[in-house]
Parts: sequence; structure tokens; C-alpha cells
Amino acid sequence: MQRYDYLKLIAEDSKDALVVSTGFASREWFALRPSDGNLKTRTLGLVSSVAAGLAIALPQRKVIAIDGDGAFLMNLCGLPTIAQKNPGNLIHLLFDNEVYEASGGTATASRTSDAVAIAKGAGYRNALWVKSLEDFRAAFTRAWKSNELTLIAIKVEPGQPKNLPPLKLDDIENKYRFMRYLEATEKKNILNPGFDSKLTVT
Amino acid sequence: MDQQTAKTAAAAIVAGLKKAGIDFVATLPEGKTFELTCAVEQDKELTHVPLCREEEGIGICAGAYLAGKKTAIMMQNAGFLNSCNALTTTSLQFQIPILMLIYYAGDIGDRGFTTVGSVTEPVLNAMGFRTYILRKQEDIDEILRGAQILADDSKKPVAVLLTKSVLGVD
Repeated sequence: MQRYDYLKLIAEDSKDALVVSTGFASREWFALRPSDGNLKTRTLGLVSSVAAGLAIALPQRKVIAIDGDGAFLMNLCGLPTIAQKNPGNLIHLLFDNEVYEASGGTATASRTSDAVAIAKGAGYRNALWVKSLEDFRAAFTRAWKSNELTLIAIKVEPGQPKNLPPLKLDDIENKYRFMRYLEATEKKNILNPGFDSKLTVT
Repeated sequence: MDQQTAKTAAAAIVAGLKKAGIDFVATLPEGKTFELTCAVEQDKELTHVPLCREEEGIGICAGAYLAGKKTAIMMQNAGFLNSCNALTTTSLQFQIPILMLIYYAGDIGDRGFTTVGSVTEPVLNAMGFRTYILRKQEDIDEILRGAQILADDSKKPVAVLLTKSVLGVD
């Protein structure tokens, strides 16, 4: 199974969740659930931290982080921070293909480490490996309904479908569309127009 | 200077942050900012996220900004150096503002950190961040509010370097 097979299962269940992704997974997710509630990050490792910032700031919204093993391992110190704030609306998905897929496919250290043990040690009360599509979907639904911070980790084969549409969003365009989407769905003003800021900053 | 002086200074800085509209603060303390970190933690109007490493704080604050928070990160200049990749590939790449309150270790008269002190302003300048050194307590409100407006309007990080004198510490 590849990451895409798992993501496909939850595309519909994710409803209006805010979804933060990284690496090759972004192209898959944007194709599976086209929405301005999708954000693709750039800094390797920070997908979970950006998602946590969103989840802490918007406790009434579901936030999903689509993490990979290379990014996860780069930001291990982010895990205790997330666990300490314990945002129940954050579902942290880890697709572990044991390689740096987006940069050619050399091995990560995930083959000799255990992401679930790491997350539990960092303070995540809910962290589990799932080994089948059925278990994945069940774990996702449970995390969603229980509203408890959860890491769901899955070993996957590298690779993705060949016919995925290319990502056409520029990063800044992605940001603005995401923020406008939040303004519309949260019914609040987020972006201050610069020229008017003296009236709106405080 | 005594502990009370540091507490008074910390209260003035937190009040200045709030007057500037800041409502979300990520911190990684250093000895000189102990009272300030405590004051942030105790303020019920601020969302406080204590960090394990500064770079993750840039990501957390970016997410909070997208959701409408006005964010600040409080760290030492060594922590700023830890954050440079995230500041480049998250803050600058996506044009996301953040007010950086950076304790200026190795500043004039600050013993023991001259190496980190000597690279701080050159690196801030190289990254294109507007930088203000806050030395006097009477300047707190003006500098913090001005820096926050600058960050918000330019959609870039802005640095305010905190010194011993403004923090009321020796």
C-alpha cells in the first residue's frame, strides 16, 4: 500500500478540516480533496508545528497534519511542545515510507526507530501504528470523534500514482486562499489591509 | 538591580505587547528573560506556547497567524540562529509576519556571549529583517507597537533586540 491508498479513504471523512501537508503528499491530498482549506508547507519538519499553531488558535476546528518520516524525524523536539499544549482537535498522520522520497529516496532513520514510541515518550496520550486500511480508517474516525490529540502512524511503500494533476498553487497564493477560506468559514476578519492598519491593528 | 526591577520591567513589556495587539506568544527562556517569560505565562489574555527549540516556534506562530492571531516569539539570539531556516522557508517564503523579541546576549557590556553577539546583527541584516534595539523602558510601548505594525504591514518578521537595561537585570 502507498500513502495515496490511505489518504483516499479519509478524503471524504475530512469534511471541512484544515489540512497541512508536506512533500509529495501534498500533490496527492490536493487532488483527493480540492479545497482552500489545504496548506502545503515548505520547511522540512514544520508541518506538525504549523498544524499545531492552527489547532491551538482555532480549537473549534479539526486540523490534520500529513507528516512524513523525514519531516517527523527532523522536528522531534516539536512533539513535546505539541503534547504539552495537547490540542484535541489535531490529528497527526505519519506516513512512514522509510526514505526521503522527495529528495531521491535515500533511507531515513525510521527503519531503526519507532515513531509511536517517540510520540508516546514525548507525551502524546494517543499514538498507534496501524497496519491495514480498515484499521487506519477506524483510528481516524476514533481520533475525530474523541477529540483527543492522536498520532496515527502507518508504514507505506514509497511512490504515488503517476497521473496526479500537478500542484498549480504558488506558496503565497496558497496562503492567501487559505486565510480567505478561514475568514469565510470562521466569519471573522483576519487580514488587515496595510494602508488601513492604524485603524485595525489594536 | 533587584528582582522587583526585573518584574516591573517584565510587566511593562507584556503590557506593551498587548497594546501592540499581540495575543499569542511562543517562548524559550534565557536567564535574563526569566521574569518576562513568567509574566507571559501568567497573563490570561495571552496564549503562551513554551517551546523546546526555537525553530518549531516559527512554525507554530505561522499557523496561529494564518488563523488570525498576532504572534510574537521570545528567544535568545542563539535561538534566533536556530530559527533561520524556518524564518526563511516559512516566514519569508509565505510572507508571514512575526514579532521577534530577541535577548541580545553578547551586547555591549554583556559578558560571556561575544561570539553569538557579534553575528546577531549581521545575520538579521543579511536576512533583511528590520531590527530595533530596545534599551530604555520609556521606549517599550513605542518600539513594540511600531515593530508590530511594521511586521503586519510588511508581512515579514521584525526583530526587537532586548537588552539588560530594558529588562531591568544585571
